[in-house]
Amino acid sequence: MLRRLCWFVLVAGLALGGASAPAATVSVQVADRAGKPLADAVVMLVPVSGHLPVKPMTGVEIAQSHRQFSPRVTVVTVGTSIAFPNLDTVRHHVYSFSPVKSFELKLYAGVPATPIVFDKAGIATLGCNIHDAMVAWVVVVDTPLVARSAAGGKAQIDAVPAGDYELRVWHSELTEPSAAMSTPLVVAGVDVQTRASLATVGSRK
Amino acid sequence: MSVRTRWWQRSIGGRIVLLSLGLLLTVQLASFVALRTSLSEHAHRVLPNQLKAGERVLQNLLDRRAQTLISGARLLAADYGFREAVSSNDTETIVSVLANHGARIGATETALLASDFRLRASTDPEPHSLLPLVERLAAQAAESGQASALALRSGQPYQAVLVPVKAPVVVGWVLMAFPLDQQLATDLKSLSALDLTLISRPARREPWAVNLTSLDAARAASLAGQPWSDRRDDAAMTSVGVLGEEFGVRDTTLRLGHESDGGASARALLSLSVDEAVRLPHDLLLALIAITLVAIVVFALGSVFTARRVTTPLRSLADAAERLGGGDYATPMTGMQRHDEIGELSQSFERMRHSIAANQAQIMRLAYWDTLTGLPNRARFRDNVHRAIGEVQAGDAVVVIMLDLNRFKHVNDALGYHIGDLLLVAVGERLTRQVMRDGDVVARLSGDEFAVLLRSGDAALALSVAERIEESFAAPFVLEEQPVDIGAAIGVACWPLHADDGDALLNRAEVAMYAAKNRGNGPQLYDPSIELASARTLTLMTELRHAVDACELRLYLQPKLALETGKLIGAEALLRWQHPERGMVPPSHFIPFAEQTGFIHTLTLWVLEEAARHWHVLNDGGLPLPLSINLSTRDLLDQNLPQKFEALLARRKVAASAFCLEITESAMMDEPQRALATLDRLSAMGFKLSIDDFGTGYSSLAYLKRLPVSELKIDQSFVRNMQTDADDAMIVRSTIDLAHNLGITVVAEGVENGQVWNMLRELDCDHAQGFHMGRPMPVSELATWSTRWASARRATALDSALLH
Repeated sequence: MLRRLCWFVLVAGLALGGASAPAATVSVQVADRAGKPLADAVVMLVPVSGHLPVKPMTGVEIAQSHRQFSPRVTVVTVGTSIAFPNLDTVRHHVYSFSPVKSFELKLYAGVPATPIVFDKAGIATLGCNIHDAMVAWVVVVDTPLVARSAAGGKAQIDAVPAGDYELRVWHSELTEPSAAMSTPLVVAGVDVQTRASLATVGSRK
Repeated sequence: MSVRTRWWQRSIGGRIVLLSLGLLLTVQLASFVALRTSLSEHAHRVLPNQLKAGERVLQNLLDRRAQTLISGARLLAADYGFREAVSSNDTETIVSVLANHGARIGATETALLASDFRLRASTDPEPHSLLPLVERLAAQAAESGQASALALRSGQPYQAVLVPVKAPVVVGWVLMAFPLDQQLATDLKSLSALDLTLISRPARREPWAVNLTSLDAARAASLAGQPWSDRRDDAAMTSVGVLGEEFGVRDTTLRLGHESDGGASARALLSLSVDEAVRLPHDLLLALIAITLVAIVVFALGSVFTARRVTTPLRSLADAAERLGGGDYATPMTGMQRHDEIGELSQSFERMRHSIAANQAQIMRLAYWDTLTGLPNRARFRDNVHRAIGEVQAGDAVVVIMLDLNRFKHVNDALGYHIGDLLLVAVGERLTRQVMRDGDVVARLSGDEFAVLLRSGDAALALSVAERIEESFAAPFVLEEQPVDIGAAIGVACWPLHADDGDALLNRAEVAMYAAKNRGNGPQLYDPSIELASARTLTLMTELRHAVDACELRLYLQPKLALETGKLIGAEALLRWQHPERGMVPPSHFIPFAEQTGFIHTLTLWVLEEAARHWHVLNDGGLPLPLSINLSTRDLLDQNLPQKFEALLARRKVAASAFCLEITESAMMDEPQRALATLDRLSAMGFKLSIDDFGTGYSSLAYLKRLPVSELKIDQSFVRNMQTDADDAMIVRSTIDLAHNLGITVVAEGVENGQVWNMLRELDCDHAQGFHMGRPMPVSELATWSTRWASARRATALDSALLH
C-alpha cells in the first residue's frame, strides 16, 4: 500500500505539466526505490477504454542455453507462439504454472515439435523442473505501446495517441513479479516524461 | 588409677596385632576419603564441561531436527505435482499433499502459505493456532528465503520451518512444524547421558510448566519449581537441590523470537545428578571392601605370625630365666642363631647362664672346699660322712679321725702367718699321703683342725691309721728351709659302734680328740666315759657358778717358811670348794675346767679379793704376811687384768707389794708376747712375780731372764724325790744355783720330811713349802699353826742344838 501511494504522488506531479497533442512520446525513467536506474523494465500503456490492435509476433524463441533461459525476459503480443529450443546437451523440463499460460514441456532435447501459444495478456513465469535456478518471464501484452528500459533506465514509447492509459511497469526483480505495477496516465498529444520507482527485491536490501 | 589391665596391655602380641590392624584401617579409611574427595573434585571439574558439551549436543540435535524439517519442506516445495496443485488452487489436493509429506518426516503441522504469508491451506483443523508460528517465521523467511525457529504454540514449544515454494519464483511458503517431544530428551540422554527438561511459560509472571523431560515427573516438577530467571545465565553449572539430591544444571534459553508476545519463554535444562557422579561406583566400592577384608585377614595373619616370632622366643627366654632361677644351669638357651634383638637377648642370657654357672661353681667351691689346702671343708666332710654312712655295707664301719694341731698359734706368732699357712698345706698333704684307699677323705674342718674319713674298717684299723698319722708327725715339717716341729691331738670314733648317725659320729670324734689333747698320750679312741666326764664338767660349771654366789668357796693358806731361820715369811693362797653334797672338791677337779671355760677369771678375782681381806685380818693379828696367788694362762691373756687388780686393791686398801703372783711356765707359752706384756704391767704396779712348777716346762734360760720375776718355785716332783734320786737332787741344786746367779729367790715345794728340809738348807735354798711344815689350812687356823710351829721349831732347834 505504501508503494502504491508513492507511485501516485509521483505520476500526478508529472501530469500537471502536460499539453494536448494528437501523438506524443512517453518517456519513463525506471528506477528502484533507491533511485538506481533499472534496465530491462517493461513499460506499456494500456488504454483504459477501447483496444489498440496488435498482431501476434513470429519467430520468437526462448532458448535454453548454459542452463539458463535466453532471453530471461521476453515481451510478446497476445497470440504469439514461442519456441523453446534446447541448446544444452542436458534435457530440460520447462513449465509454467502462471494463469496467463500454464504449460509443461516434459523432458526434452532439441526443439519441441509444437511451440507454445501465449494467448492471454499477462506475465507468465517459466521455470525448469530440473534446474531450479532457471527462470524466465514472458510478458504477454495486448497493446502495441510497449517499450523496455535501456541501460540508463529510460524507456520511451513513441507515437502515443492522446487518451487515458494505464501505465504499467514490470520488472523481473519486482517483489511480486507475477503482476505489473500500473498507474493511470493521461496522454494529450504532449510528450510525457515520468518516473517509475519500483519496489524491487534488490532495492529492499 | 585403675589396677585392671586391658587385654592388649598384657600381651605384646596383642599390641602388635592391634597396632597393625589399626594402621591398616586408618590407611584404608584415608584412601577411601581421598578417593571420595578426589571423585567429588573431579566431578565438579568435569561436570560443567559435560553439561557444556551436552548443550552443544542439544543444539546439534535441534539443528538436525530443523534440517530434517527443512529437507522435508523443501522436498514438498519442490514437488512438481505439489506446485501444480498450488497453482491450480485445488485446496483439497493441496491439503492431502501437505498431510502426505508432513507424515513422511513426522511433522505434526504442515501448511501452505501464500507468498505474502497468508494461510492458504493447513492440515490442522484449527489453522489459526498456527499463526504464532507463521508470525515467528515470516520475517526471517522474507529476509533470507527460508526460516527455522522455535516457537510456542498453545504453550507447547514447536520447531518450525518455512521454505518457499518456487515456480520457479516464490509463489508461496510451506510451513512445517513439530513439537519438541520426549524423543528429543531420549536422544539427548542417549548421546550425552544428560537429562533434558524443557520448561516454558506463556508470560513472565506465570509459573514454569514442564514440556518434556527425561527425568521422572517429581524431579522434573521440582526442577521446574526453581527460580529460573529469563536473564541469560552464563554459569557453566548451577547446583540445585532436587528432592534431597544435588543436581548440576545448565540452563539454556530457547530463543522464541521477539519479546513482544508478553514474555513467553522456554528454557532447556540440562541436568545430571552430582551425587551420582560423586558416588563411588558399586563395583569399586565392593572391590575396596573386598581389598580391605582381604588385607585385614592378611595383616591379622601376618601380625599374629610376627607377634609369635617375637613372643615365642620371649616366652622361651622367660622359661629359661625360670629354669636359671630354679637352679638349672645346664640347659642351653634357644634362639641364639637369630641375628636380631631376640638373638642378642638369647646370647646375653646364654652368657648370663655361663657366668651364673661359674659363680655357682665358685660358690660351691667356697662352700665345700677349703681354699688354702684345696681339701674339702667341714660342710663337705659332713656330707661325705653322711653319704658314707648311707652307702656302707652291712657289718662294716665308718671311721672318723679328727686332728687338732698343738700350739699352732705359737707357730703363727713366732714364724708368721705365711709359714702357718704353708704348715697347714703341708699337714694336709702329709695326711693325704697316709690315706691310701679310694673313697677315704681328708678335710680341713677349721683353723688347725683336720679330719679323715675311712669308709670302711673297724676300731682297730682306725687306731692303727691314727697311730700312723701321729708317727708321720714325728718328722719335722720343713717350710722354706725352716724345720717346724708340731704335734697333733688325735681322736677316733666309729659308726655304728660309737654313734647312731653322721653328726653324732663327728661329735664323738671331736670329743675323743679333746680327750687326747687333755691327756696328751697319743690317739684317743672314743669311749663313753669321756663323754660322761664332760657331762660331769657341764654340771660342774653350773654348780661352780652357784658356788661363788652361795659362798661355798674357801680360801686356804699354806705357810711358806725361810729355810735358814724356819720363820714364817709368807703363805700361798689356795682355793677350796666346800661342796654341800660332795664335800671338799679338790682343785684338780674344777680348776682345769674353769680355765677351759674362762670361769677362771671370776675365780682369780675372788681369790685376790679374799686374800686382800685376810691380809688385813692377819696383819691386824700380828702376822703381816705377803700372800702368793696363782694366775692361769687365761688371766695373763686378759688385757684388762691389771686394771681390775688395781681397782680391787684400791678398794681393799692393800699395796700390791703385799702379793706375789705365781705363773706356771706353760702359762706363758701359748702367747708369750701378750703374757709378757701383762707381766710387765703387773710388775710395774708393784706385784712380785714368781715362776710356779719350774722344771716341768721348757723355758729357756734366756727367756727366763727376760721375765720380771723375783722368785722361782721348784716343782715338787723334783723335791719329793731328791732324797732318793741323785738326778733330781742335781736338778734342784742346779736350779738353785742358776736362780741365785740371776738374783732370783728359790722356793722348794713338796717338802715332806725333815731330811729334805735339811738337804735344801744345805743347798742354800731360800724358802720351802710342804706338808712337813704345814698343809693348806683355813685362814683362821694359821695363827694357831704359827704359834704351834714356832714352839715346835724352838724345840727342834733345841734338839738340834742339843744334838750338835
